[in-house]
Amino acid sequence: MASKIDIKTLEHLAELSRIKLDKKEEEKLLEDMGKILAYFDELKSLDTSGVEPMNGPLRRSVSEASGTELKNSLREDEERLNTNQGAGADVFPESKDGFLKVPPVFQ
Amino acid sequence: MTSLRNLTIKKFHDGLLKKEFSTLEITRSFFKEISENDSKINAYLSLNEENAINEAKSVDALIAQGESVEVLAGVPLAIKDNILIKGLPATAASKILENYVASYDAEVIQKLKNERAIFLGKTNMDEFAMGSSTENSAFKITRNPRDNERVPGGSSGGSAAAVAANMALAALGSDTGGSIREPAAFCGVVGLKPTYGAVSRSGLIAMASSLDQIGPITKTVEDSAIVFNAIRGRDPLDATSAEPPVGQNYENELLNPDIEKIKKLIVGIPEEYFVKGLDKNVEEAMNVAMKTVGGLGVKFKKISLPHTKYALSCYYIIMPAEVSSNLARFDGIRYSRLSNIDASNLKDIYFKQRGSGFGQEAKRRIILGTFVLSSGYYDAYYKKAQQVRRLVKNDFENAFKEVDVIMTPVAPGPAFKIGEKTEDPLTMYLSDIFTIPANLAGLPAISIPVREKMVRQAHRKEEGLPVGFQIIGKPWREPDILGLGQYYEKTTVPELYE
Repeated sequence: MASKIDIKTLEHLAELSRIKLDKKEEEKLLEDMGKILAYFDELKSLDTSGVEPMNGPLRRSVSEASGTELKNSLREDEERLNTNQGAGADVFPESKDGFLKVPPVFQ
Repeated sequence: MTSLRNLTIKKFHDGLLKKEFSTLEITRSFFKEISENDSKINAYLSLNEENAINEAKSVDALIAQGESVEVLAGVPLAIKDNILIKGLPATAASKILENYVASYDAEVIQKLKNERAIFLGKTNMDEFAMGSSTENSAFKITRNPRDNERVPGGSSGGSAAAVAANMALAALGSDTGGSIREPAAFCGVVGLKPTYGAVSRSGLIAMASSLDQIGPITKTVEDSAIVFNAIRGRDPLDATSAEPPVGQNYENELLNPDIEKIKKLIVGIPEEYFVKGLDKNVEEAMNVAMKTVGGLGVKFKKISLPHTKYALSCYYIIMPAEVSSNLARFDGIRYSRLSNIDASNLKDIYFKQRGSGFGQEAKRRIILGTFVLSSGYYDAYYKKAQQVRRLVKNDFENAFKEVDVIMTPVAPGPAFKIGEKTEDPLTMYLSDIFTIPANLAGLPAISIPVREKMVRQAHRKEEGLPVGFQIIGKPWREPDILGLGQYYEKTTVPELYE
């Protein structure tokens, strides 16, 4: 287990997370993450070979891991009244004439 | 005028039917209490006074017409600000949701509205429920009503403080690693984290979906049973929600626990929860509470949960992993926007809105979660943590072959001073060490204040701080932990049950 994060890794993680960090935040995060990852080192001493990870029952891929092991219980595919239509659009920060307004995305 | 101090949901309902007071009177008293005291405590982020008063009048009108009403009709509640109530702000105490107004009701709110409960307002919390002290709110710091220099616990600190300071009759919180139980213990009230799946998460702003549960914060265990019974149940909008296994007389057991059955419970005491570093007041209070619980007739048995010490690391890998995914939806375009951001393209908008909109702890967890899921580290962290999670769950399964419930402290110490743990995140994380395992294993757990008079008096001389004890139950055995808790309270605080 690599328990150190360097500034390059941190910048890459911030890029993946779409979060702008200033210099002071970067320094504090490096320090905190170092301590937290060092704490995780205790897991190294625990032998988990052969232990089935507690992911969801589907486990076809990583993204389906859920950690609860409950069976999916989907609702019946039948007609029903949806009372929530348009609720997302109603509270969109800006809209005009029924269109959702987003900030300009191209320069 | 009825004093709010000893008023419980049960007494409120009885008093309402006997016409000792009206819903309107009581609702107004709560708003009076809030206007007089909340500038000091800071439990609420926003109030819902006009709607609450109207709803109170309509409940009174029903009663005047002789209609029968549900047990929660007219009950003034405080709701944590990560639970959606249509038309009201839901900020989750984050700047990135500062202007967000909920467009639908959470399932729990819909159920409470069906019973005609009243919502006084939305309560303060750690941003996105990330914290153990309510100091991570982007808007204000809530103070502990029992000692204003101290934190109320977190992340449901506003809800616990509102109930403890008589600014709500009961409240809803959410618990991912102890966020209902720890603040309940710090403020001297009762908090229940239900079995994973017992309560719908639809309309709860998600933090870590495999761990989050909504639950009640109340003055008595009986009130927790009443609120829990009203909000639980399968909901088509949450595929992980479920009804209790069939063949149980679940509802009746919840609401009318049978002392003869409770007496026969075997209570496990895990050695790993009584280690060095446990605060002396907590240790002493636990001994006193165990003596009273033993007096009810139950038997104690020493047990071992050997992987307890790994639970914290395990949790702080799995939870941030889920956080990094759940918080990706807050992009500064949908929900709410910061207005003072100058950005020229899409990526720039994301970076700046998220950079300015999320607080320090949210950023730390998103980055940490991205790290443990990233290629090259996945096996060493995320997969390892999910294996440890299984071992923690197996520990409980083995223990429950020998015992019915498990009794432990809620937190290693009582409420700490504001600012004491904000510098070093690890110190703060350690506050949840006794509450996290129940979330990892999906078990129901309740936090109950140690009520014995001798403890209350001894503590008044020293620090006057409440201490809580925790009872963890088997999956779907809320009736065991709520039943044992009720008989404990009937012995120690009969005035709340008279």
